[in-house]
Amino acid sequence: MKDRQILVRDLLLLLAFAGWGLALPHYGSEFVVSMALTCLMYVALSSSWGLFCGSTRYLSLATSAFFGIGAYTSAIALEHLSWLESIALGAGLAAVVAVVMGAAVLHLRGTYFAVLTFGMTELIRHAVTYFEKSVTGTVGRVLTVVPDRDTIYLTVLALAVLAVAVSIVVRRSRFGLALMGIGADEQRAQTLGVNTRLIKVAGFAMTAAFAGAVGAAMAVRWTYIDPHTVFNPFIGFQTVLIALIGGAATLWGPLIAAIVFSVLAETLRLQAPQIYMMSLGLLLILSVLYLPGGLASLRWSTFGGWWRDSRGWLRGLKDKERNRG
Amino acid sequence: MTLFSWLELLASGLITGGIYALVALGLNLQYGLMRILNIAHGEFLMLGAYLTWMAQTSLGVSPLLMVPVSFLVLMALGVVIHKLCFRRLTVTSPNLDIFEARGLMVAFGLMFLVQNFASFMWGGDLRGYDYLTEPVKIGDAQFAGNKLLVFGLALLFSGVLIAVLRFTLLGKGVRALMQSPVGAQLVGIDTQRLHPLMFGIGLGLSGMAGCLLSMAYTITPAMGEPYTVTALIVITLGGFGSMSGALAGGLLLGVIEALGMHFTNPSLKALLSYSVFIAVLLLRPRGLFAK
Repeated sequence: MKDRQILVRDLLLLLAFAGWGLALPHYGSEFVVSMALTCLMYVALSSSWGLFCGSTRYLSLATSAFFGIGAYTSAIALEHLSWLESIALGAGLAAVVAVVMGAAVLHLRGTYFAVLTFGMTELIRHAVTYFEKSVTGTVGRVLTVVPDRDTIYLTVLALAVLAVAVSIVVRRSRFGLALMGIGADEQRAQTLGVNTRLIKVAGFAMTAAFAGAVGAAMAVRWTYIDPHTVFNPFIGFQTVLIALIGGAATLWGPLIAAIVFSVLAETLRLQAPQIYMMSLGLLLILSVLYLPGGLASLRWSTFGGWWRDSRGWLRGLKDKERNRG
Repeated sequence: MTLFSWLELLASGLITGGIYALVALGLNLQYGLMRILNIAHGEFLMLGAYLTWMAQTSLGVSPLLMVPVSFLVLMALGVVIHKLCFRRLTVTSPNLDIFEARGLMVAFGLMFLVQNFASFMWGGDLRGYDYLTEPVKIGDAQFAGNKLLVFGLALLFSGVLIAVLRFTLLGKGVRALMQSPVGAQLVGIDTQRLHPLMFGIGLGLSGMAGCLLSMAYTITPAMGEPYTVTALIVITLGGFGSMSGALAGGLLLGVIEALGMHFTNPSLKALLSYSVFIAVLLLRPRGLFAK
């Protein structure tokens, strides 16, 4: 396919996805809509995560920090500002934190970066908990001003569509090419005249802004928030997981994986939460071992490869038996 | 503050620090040797603790006897896990960076798997048993007997591990692998055998630490995570891959936490350890004791 055809195909797919999302509340039950909301939340989070972390291969575990910052911002700001303003404020604050954090840690690569972002997330969580305990005097906050269900749904849908749209656009821009250049070989990108530091901080801030906006929108859905739920590292882990299982460097991978996951989560989690988490872990391990490119890289030939592998393995076992006997 | 209360504070810091050191040594072995940042390390500590608790409460086995047992059980588990996951990962990853990232993800998967397996099997309640709870007097200070025992054993095992790595042929092989994997293979060190063994020993140490912990503290399925984080902090303090650094770092962190909690307040403990962690990573990424 030509470049232009791919663009048209992607845009059409996105349009179909958006239309389906728009139509859902009109015929779906309460349960289906709430499932779709979780699904859209993870589409937005993991698509925007893949935008920076997938192409540069910087493994950030800080999503829950930005999500929590957004949630707290909207919890505090909603009493004074309008709905859209508080979401924008949440996104903005998360981006500012990301710029500061990114300036401090983005010169480190690999495991150091992953561990540091995780550490900073926990630091922010504990700092907020401590602040709330000692200054505000409570642990959680109850949100009194809450927009209706449809507004929340539409906002999260808009954010999800925006995240995918931004990914489509960024992939074709200089900025996106620079990000991918950093992922392939950072020093070479630098030599070729890419201001890697600036690009990395900008990309990181963009990811953070999406996470912050999603956090701000989802906070009102829960009506009661405390640091433990909104800064839950699990939100970050699951985002990374979804992106990786779907294929972090691909456009549609995170979206496919997010849908698969939300269905799995809603059907399994209520009956057997531990089994759900265990299967999550198992899936992650299996996908890293056997499908490192993610679900989006799955082709018919992949199955053929597995088939050959398993036959080779069986043959190896038989040879061993024969040698022994 | 009198000199005496200072000493008491230091001692209590050292006691927690001993456990930190033991947990961190196992993690350090895995990361330093194989570049596997085993984020599920604390979960295996929890398994060791539950193993001991089960043996103690249902069969009446002495926890002291369970120390070698939990070491061996978890070591076997470690060898199996290495065979199933990490060996394939070593073969399929194009370079070390990618191996590290994928290894981290596999470890995350293991964390979910093991932690939820435990809460599925044993429920989320706090568990514990009484063992050597009478206080022991040393001079004028009083310490719980079990904590002193835990500290002593933790130091002993850390010492044994460091000695093994320093003085035996096996240890020489391991250190050679840490310095240069290719060079070690060239002089005939068998990576295929050493890697699973060392991964197993790392998990075994973690299980042993869990067994020791269960003597003095209550246990839950979620107890592992804080210890993983602490172990990470400790090995950053001591420098990735440095064994004596991890021992010193563990004891140091224990003391820092004890002092910090005494002078500020206990709810700042987590904040304090994370701040130390981030500061060290940013300012001295090669560890406090690096030359």
